[in-house]
Amino acid sequence: MLEGSVTPPNFFFVRDHFDQPDISVETWKVRFEGRVAKPYELNFSDLVELPGKRIEAVLECAGNAANGSAVSNGIWEGIPLAPLLERAQPSSEAALVMLEGADSGRLFEDRSPLPYSQVVPLERCRQDSSLIAFKLNGLLLPVRNGFPARAIFPGWYGMDSVKWLRRVVVMSAQDQASSAFHQSGMDCFYNRVRNSGQDVNISRISSVQVKSSIAWPTDGVKLPAGRYTVWGFAWSGSTAIREILVSTDAGSTWNSTALKRQASPHSWVRWNYSWNATPGEHVVMSRASDESGRQQPMKRDPQRKDGYELNWCVPIHCSVR
Amino acid sequence: MNLIGACRFIAASGSIILATSLYAQDCAQPGLSAPERLSRFRDLDAQAQSAMQQKRFSEAVRLYREAICLAPESPRGLYGLGVAQAASGDFLNARESLRKADRIQPTSPLPLAMEVRINFSLDDIDALKANLREEAQRFPRDAQLHALLARFLAEKKLETLALAESLRAQQGGSGDADTTVQLAILENAAGAYEDAIRNAAAVERRTELPEKLRASAAGVAGLSYASVGQSDEAITHLQGAIRLDPSRENSYLALADVFERAQKYPEAVAVLKQGWAKIPDSTAFLLQLGSDLIRIEKYREGIDTLRELLHRDPKADQAYISIADAARKMGNSEQELQALHDLSRHKPDYPMIHVLIARAMLNGGAIDYPKVLGELALAEKAAPEDPDVYYLRGKVFIATNRYREAATALNRSIELRPLEPGPYYQLARLYQKMGKSELAKEQFGRLKYLEAAPSN
Repeated sequence: MLEGSVTPPNFFFVRDHFDQPDISVETWKVRFEGRVAKPYELNFSDLVELPGKRIEAVLECAGNAANGSAVSNGIWEGIPLAPLLERAQPSSEAALVMLEGADSGRLFEDRSPLPYSQVVPLERCRQDSSLIAFKLNGLLLPVRNGFPARAIFPGWYGMDSVKWLRRVVVMSAQDQASSAFHQSGMDCFYNRVRNSGQDVNISRISSVQVKSSIAWPTDGVKLPAGRYTVWGFAWSGSTAIREILVSTDAGSTWNSTALKRQASPHSWVRWNYSWNATPGEHVVMSRASDESGRQQPMKRDPQRKDGYELNWCVPIHCSVR
Repeated sequence: MNLIGACRFIAASGSIILATSLYAQDCAQPGLSAPERLSRFRDLDAQAQSAMQQKRFSEAVRLYREAICLAPESPRGLYGLGVAQAASGDFLNARESLRKADRIQPTSPLPLAMEVRINFSLDDIDALKANLREEAQRFPRDAQLHALLARFLAEKKLETLALAESLRAQQGGSGDADTTVQLAILENAAGAYEDAIRNAAAVERRTELPEKLRASAAGVAGLSYASVGQSDEAITHLQGAIRLDPSRENSYLALADVFERAQKYPEAVAVLKQGWAKIPDSTAFLLQLGSDLIRIEKYREGIDTLRELLHRDPKADQAYISIADAARKMGNSEQELQALHDLSRHKPDYPMIHVLIARAMLNGGAIDYPKVLGELALAEKAAPEDPDVYYLRGKVFIATNRYREAATALNRSIELRPLEPGPYYQLARLYQKMGKSELAKEQFGRLKYLEAAPSN
């Protein structure tokens, strides 16, 4: 993570399931089809000449470690998905949208190679913030970030923001079982698995959990005594960050931090804490809460059996002399 | 008025519509017959065009208004009025006139194309995009129109829309080599390197085309190859660009850049010298050449090159810094200081200039400590939280036996940048000099602790 609020494209995290596809901007198209009255397609020129929208938003990998770096914050520019879907006139049974990228491969040995795809509720696609983005931080998307265009769902984990987008398929709830999303085995990933001992509950992951991370100091650091600025970022999926607290004694006491700018929904906020580090062993932690009252947990829910939504407070050990 | 070729529009609107029953309310109409009105209209149109050519835009607006009183539904008159209104800065009314012209004669792309320019001037990008969509829908195969729009948008730095229009020109069937090179330039800028290479290399290969155009194409191919990490191909194409048009400075600079990225500085120097010899009036080579000469330890030649640059362009800030850098490496602190003072004179607010001067003074032979402190006072004024100010001040105070002030300054430096080892070392040495061995030991201990921690 870098010091500024916006992550430069070269430093933007990248998580791919398959190899990056070769795409020509001259022949690239995105097709709207499925349970619609008027399927159609847009080429690059058609897309970028539509009325656009800009939104600052965090993109985080659903499997980002508790103090991990698979998270970035960018200014996305693109076309709202809602009017693009309306133009195709979804039928009355439409409930889901499958977004398909140009990258493809095999998720399981016994499955056929299929394009990367995710299924998102139609209702979510109709929200104002859902975009087909073609710019990041004022420049056309780099290839590794999805050039020429990708989906962006601010507030949701990154897997649904399908890169190298080429098909938007409107489906009914019943269509999912026969879709490429299901056939490829993608529906086995990105699920919340909770085992209470008697029941196993499985549900789809979507909204980003409230989280903060400490950019400095790093774990295991040795410091001469003195005054330091502890800093990091905090973000949440649905609402703005309200407060970030910092502890330097493993959570026994908490101190408020200064936010570098006013927090807003979808984007992250940088926080600072001025720490007078005295000689001894210290455990530094940060804890964020958002406007909806959600607070970072101190520990991982022991019933969780999956590897997603890893948002607990991470201890950073510092030796001060 | 010549965006698309006014002649095409005028030919299309050859039959001037004279709607005798549709006079605007504010038009004082004499009792003219239809042929008289036509004749008067043509006369006013000619006068208005003449006024436009002589940049008498307000007069042109007046004349076109008068002409439109005679022929309110004339697309030619309305278009002329729109252009004249735009030229006189009345963009909102210009847009209205052009929209009316477009409604009356939707077969001509000219009013919409002119509206693109007006919407750009009004900074109304949504309306500009609407114009482009309209043009795409009504004139999808007009490659010339889309190529010209692309050129205008590229000039105005709307590169994404320029690429969109350039692609429309290609899809409209434009086989024009100029348009293909323009598309390749935009694709290269967009990061669509494979597309750019294919288009540019195709033009570069066509020996019947003018060499300047082929040189542009070779240059774009070279840049795109460099961007995908194929430096051998990049070098071949950029050398080809230089061969085809030795007067293009960008080809030399791009080729030198490829060599620099591969840390082949002698090759970069050779290319830049070749460019400078071919285009001796250009200053574009000198900073890069001077810096590369310093990199290969040809300090004297590097300094001479940078001085030549400063002779031509005294505002080239980086040249002063590079001269100072070369002088320091040569052990010539006087020359280093001179370069920094020159920079300070030309740009007093250059970041950290006083710290740089103070540091250079401390590296010199006979040090004038009060002067160093004077520079540091100026540095503190410019950046009160710069730890280097206090670190250097601490060193001056140690050298002048002002130990207590030195300790204060060094502690302030540590407070501002606690992970920098230098101040701890200076503080430890200071305490030794002051006979405070416990405090010295403590500082040496912190220094050792800090240096042993790789995770910092």
